[in-house]
Amino acid sequence: MIEFKDVNVVYPGGHRGLKDVDLTIGAGELVVVVGLSGAGKSTLIRAINGLVPYTSGTLRVGDDVVDPRSKGKLRALRSRVGMVFQSFNLVTRISVLSNVLVGRSSATPTWRSLLGWYRPEDKEIAFQSLERVGIVDKAYNRASALSGGQQQRVAIARVLAQDPEVILADEPVASLDPPTAHMVLQDLRRINRELGITTVINLHHLEMARRYADRVIGMRSGEIVFDGSVDEATDTAIEEVYQRSLTAEDVAP
Amino acid sequence: MSDKSSRRPGEESSPQYQNLERGSAGSGTGFAPDRLDARPVKPSKLGYNIGLLIAGILFIGAVSATGASWGRLAQLPANMVDYFGLMARGVFQPLTPETQQSWLSAIEHMLESVQIAWVGTVLGALFSLPMGFLAARTMTPLPVYVVVRFILSVIRAVPEIIFAIAIMLPIFGLGPLAGAMALGVSSIGTLSKLISEAVESVDRGPLESARAAGATEVQVIRWAVLPQVMPEVIAIWLYRFEVNIRASAILGVLGAGGIGSLLSSLFGARAWDRIGITILVIIVVTIAVDQISAWVRHRVIHGPKRRGSRPGPPGADDSSAGHDGGPVPSTQPGTGAGSGAAAGAGTTVPGASGTMNL
Repeated sequence: MIEFKDVNVVYPGGHRGLKDVDLTIGAGELVVVVGLSGAGKSTLIRAINGLVPYTSGTLRVGDDVVDPRSKGKLRALRSRVGMVFQSFNLVTRISVLSNVLVGRSSATPTWRSLLGWYRPEDKEIAFQSLERVGIVDKAYNRASALSGGQQQRVAIARVLAQDPEVILADEPVASLDPPTAHMVLQDLRRINRELGITTVINLHHLEMARRYADRVIGMRSGEIVFDGSVDEATDTAIEEVYQRSLTAEDVAP
Repeated sequence: MSDKSSRRPGEESSPQYQNLERGSAGSGTGFAPDRLDARPVKPSKLGYNIGLLIAGILFIGAVSATGASWGRLAQLPANMVDYFGLMARGVFQPLTPETQQSWLSAIEHMLESVQIAWVGTVLGALFSLPMGFLAARTMTPLPVYVVVRFILSVIRAVPEIIFAIAIMLPIFGLGPLAGAMALGVSSIGTLSKLISEAVESVDRGPLESARAAGATEVQVIRWAVLPQVMPEVIAIWLYRFEVNIRASAILGVLGAGGIGSLLSSLFGARAWDRIGITILVIIVVTIAVDQISAWVRHRVIHGPKRRGSRPGPPGADDSSAGHDGGPVPSTQPGTGAGSGAAAGAGTTVPGASGTMNL
C-alpha cells in the first residue's frame, strides 16, 4: 500500500529528515510511529502526502509514485490520503459542516466550492462522516464552540469525507487530555477496522501505541531503528529506540 | 558596571539567601554556582532610547519648521468668539420657512456627501479584496507581490485631492461622481495594504489541512483564508467609510459635490448663520455614522454577545456526554481498557515508572 524505497529527505538547510528509509505498510494496517522529538516521525508521515517533499528514492502510495514536483498529481494523491493534525487545523469561524465539506474539495468543481454550493450527495457524505465520529448534532455550530476532543473528531470527519485509502495522523492527541486522547484514538482504530483504511499515526506515548497499533515503528535521527508487532515492542526494544531508559511520561497515560 | 549593580542586592539584603547556602553546604552536597545559576545581564535598551530621542528631536524640529506665528494665537479667541457667536445665532434662530430651507439644504448636501463616501468605499472595497490577496507575500509569487505592492504605494502616495483634480474632474466633470471615483481609487491603496497584512497574519494550520485534503489554491483561499480574514476585512472597509465621509466633505470644496460645495459657496457669501447650521449638520451626521460603524465593526469582530459567553460550559460537557452516548458500543473493549489505564495512570504514576525502569 505505502512503500518507501531508499527514501531520503534533505531539508533546504541541509538537515537530513529521513535517511535511506525502506518501509512497506500493507493495506488496512494500523501503524504507530514512535520516537523522540526530532526523530523524523513527522517527516515520515508528511512525505507520504507530499507536505514534505522527499529528495531521493521512491515513494509509492498504492500504484502511484508520489511526485512532489507536480501540483496536479499531488492534489490527486492527497484526495486519497487524509491527514489529521496535532492542532486540529479547523477553520474556527465557520460551521462544523463547512469544515467537513472542505474534505470534499477535491471532488467538487472549484466554482461550486467558491459559492459554497456543494452537491446534495457531498453534503450527505459530510453528514455520514460526522455521524461516524458521533458529533452530527454539532453540524451547524461554529467550530470554535467545540472542545478540543470534539474539534479533533471534526478533523477526523473531514478526513472521512474524502473517502480516503490512507489516514495519516501527526501527533493527533498531543494537545488533548488523556481520556479524550483515548477516545480519539479509539475512533481512529474503529475507522481503521470498519472501513479498512490504512492508518499511520505518530504518537508520543508508548502505552497508547501498544494499545491501538497493529505494528510499531521506532525512529531515531531520521532512520527506522525498530519495526515489529506490538508484542515485540517491549520496553527494552523501545529503550533501544530512545537510547535511554523509559520514564513515566513515556509510558503513561 | 551592570554586573555589580545586579549582584549587590543579593549580597547585601537577603539573609534567606545566605541561609540557603549554609543549609546546602551542611547537607554535604555543596552549592557551587555555575554558569546556569548566574542571573542574566539586563538586555541593552540603547536602541530603544536612541529611537525615542530621535522621535523627540524630529517632533521639536517639525514644530519649529512650521514657522507658525504663535503671537497670533492670542488674537484668535476674539475672532473665534465673534464667528462662533454668528454661527450659534444661525443655529438657534427661530424656524422660519427660510431657515428651514437652510437646514434642509444642509442635510440634503450632507446626505450627498455620505453617498459619495459610500460609493467610493464600495468601489475601493470591491477592488481591494483581490488586490489585498495579490499583495500578500504568503499568497502570491514574488514578482506579482513586488509589482502590486509598488502600484499600491503609488496610489497611497497620491492624495485623493490630486486624484480628484487631475484625473476625475476632467473625466467625470464637476459633480458627485468625480468625488466618488477619487475616493474609490485612493481607498484601494490603503484598503489593499491593510487587507494584505490581515491575510499574511492568518493561521497557517487550516491552509495546510485544506491542502492536505487535495483542495486547489482557490478552494484554500475560499474556505481556509477568507473565513479567517473576513471580519477584519469588513472592519477595515467600515473604518475607511468613516474616513471617506470626512474626505468627501473636503473634496466637495473643489467642486466634487456634497456638503463641501455648499460650504464653500456659503463661505464665499460669508453667510455665517448658514455656515453654523451646515457645520452642525456635518458634526452630527459624522458622529452618528462613526458610532454606527464602530458598533457594527465591534460586532463583526467579536460576534454577537450571547454566542461569546456560550461556548465554555456546553462544549466541555458534550465532549464526554456525546461520546459515551454515541458510537461507543462498537468499541467497548477499547473503552474499558482506556478508562482503566487512564485512571491507573492518574493515580499511580510513580508505581508505573518503577515497573517500567526494570
